[in-house]
Amino acid sequence: MLITSLAYSQDPLGEYLGDESAFYAETKQVNQFFRRFNNEESKDGVRYNPGDKKYRDLRERKNYLDILFDAQNSSITRDLKQQFIADVNNETNPTFLDFRNGDWFSEVAAKFDYRGQEQIIYLYLRLEQDRKGYKWVLHHVHSDKYSSMMPEKESEEKKFIHPMSHELDFMNLNKAFQDTDHLQDYAVKGYKPDYLTMLLYDIKRGDLKFKTVTDVKFHFFQVDNWYFEIAEFNRSGMNRGWLISSLAKVPETQKENFRKYLFRE
Amino acid sequence: MKSIKYIFTGVFLLFLQLNTQLFAQTNEPELAPGRKAAIDSLALEKVRDLSKYISIIGDKETPFSEANRVIERAMELFAEGAQMGVSSLNSQEVKYYGVRTYFRRLMALNYDKVKISWFNIQYISDLERQPDGRYVGVITIYQKFEGISEDGMKYQDTTKKDITVFVERKQTQIGGRLIGFWDVLLGDIRVSETTQ
Repeated sequence: MLITSLAYSQDPLGEYLGDESAFYAETKQVNQFFRRFNNEESKDGVRYNPGDKKYRDLRERKNYLDILFDAQNSSITRDLKQQFIADVNNETNPTFLDFRNGDWFSEVAAKFDYRGQEQIIYLYLRLEQDRKGYKWVLHHVHSDKYSSMMPEKESEEKKFIHPMSHELDFMNLNKAFQDTDHLQDYAVKGYKPDYLTMLLYDIKRGDLKFKTVTDVKFHFFQVDNWYFEIAEFNRSGMNRGWLISSLAKVPETQKENFRKYLFRE
Repeated sequence: MKSIKYIFTGVFLLFLQLNTQLFAQTNEPELAPGRKAAIDSLALEKVRDLSKYISIIGDKETPFSEANRVIERAMELFAEGAQMGVSSLNSQEVKYYGVRTYFRRLMALNYDKVKISWFNIQYISDLERQPDGRYVGVITIYQKFEGISEDGMKYQDTTKKDITVFVERKQTQIGGRLIGFWDVLLGDIRVSETTQ
């Protein structure tokens, strides 16, 4: 068992500084989103251990699920939300989120400086097992700059190295490599530029410098035929913290395409 | 002086012995609920120390030399290289400071009076094991800051502090016996302005 718990402590740290109900209501960590989604803690944040009577109790869980949505998002209709809750809280086959082995990943918008120019690059990270535990790893990158450097084109428009070039010791490579706008045309069919490698290379060369993280969200594909996203809402009121910010019915057969859409491919 | 040393050593040995009884002496410890609770307390104690130190460092009544001494004590709570990532309600952009720089900035804030207090609420995450075998968790607390400038202008904010906690099983040799104990260090802290 790799996961352990720092249980919630009842012993208060500070003093009473006014109404704290919004802080209690707030889903304060992504970890708490998991616990609330699965009904693995009480309203006060006291962790239930497996074997506790209320651990993953479906009746109590329904109330939790109901408050885990961004209430200001009109695209998440009441009907859609209720269908989702009914599916994940199905008595015969409920779905619980899995932190380490589930299908979910993070999207981080980060500001970089590229030779004096600011640009936002999207970093996609997922959890990976390594030796004694787990770690977040970069598995995908999107940058408008990289994608505009390597635009995808219809095959008939592509430049090519003619089929008898070998007889001339490929001397036309000289022209191909000077044609910087079409370099990717000369690559194998199905070639996909690897933006992660480009990012690492630019950083190693010193051309690209990390400045700050501007936004973080998480994409979940753990519920059959559903996709949802969570984001952090830093605002007044009770509906705040890490909440479901996007929800869609996505058949399992279409999830791969949906992932590509999220990767901005 | 010697007797104080003996008392200290005795208390230290007792602490280690308690730890030995609480936690199994294995290289790959598994944390049962009781042990988790004990580690929680240990981790929360460090956070409590940190919050106390922050209040002292920020307090304008604290003499300069005392504030510097407290900064050194506070630094002992942290793992090497720990940073603070600070953002405000106006800007999502996170500014990164070394912990020592953060404390020095706090000490040098240009207010006549400063009051730093902490809300009752705290949230403690699960502990997750990382590749090197250490456990890592996050404790969330909320702080209220009030500063009054010389001309009577009052500034106040509430910040959420997400504090990384590293928990490591260590061993020490006492009287030829290897005794295991749990060591807790604080890591990076994310500070975000929030509304109450």
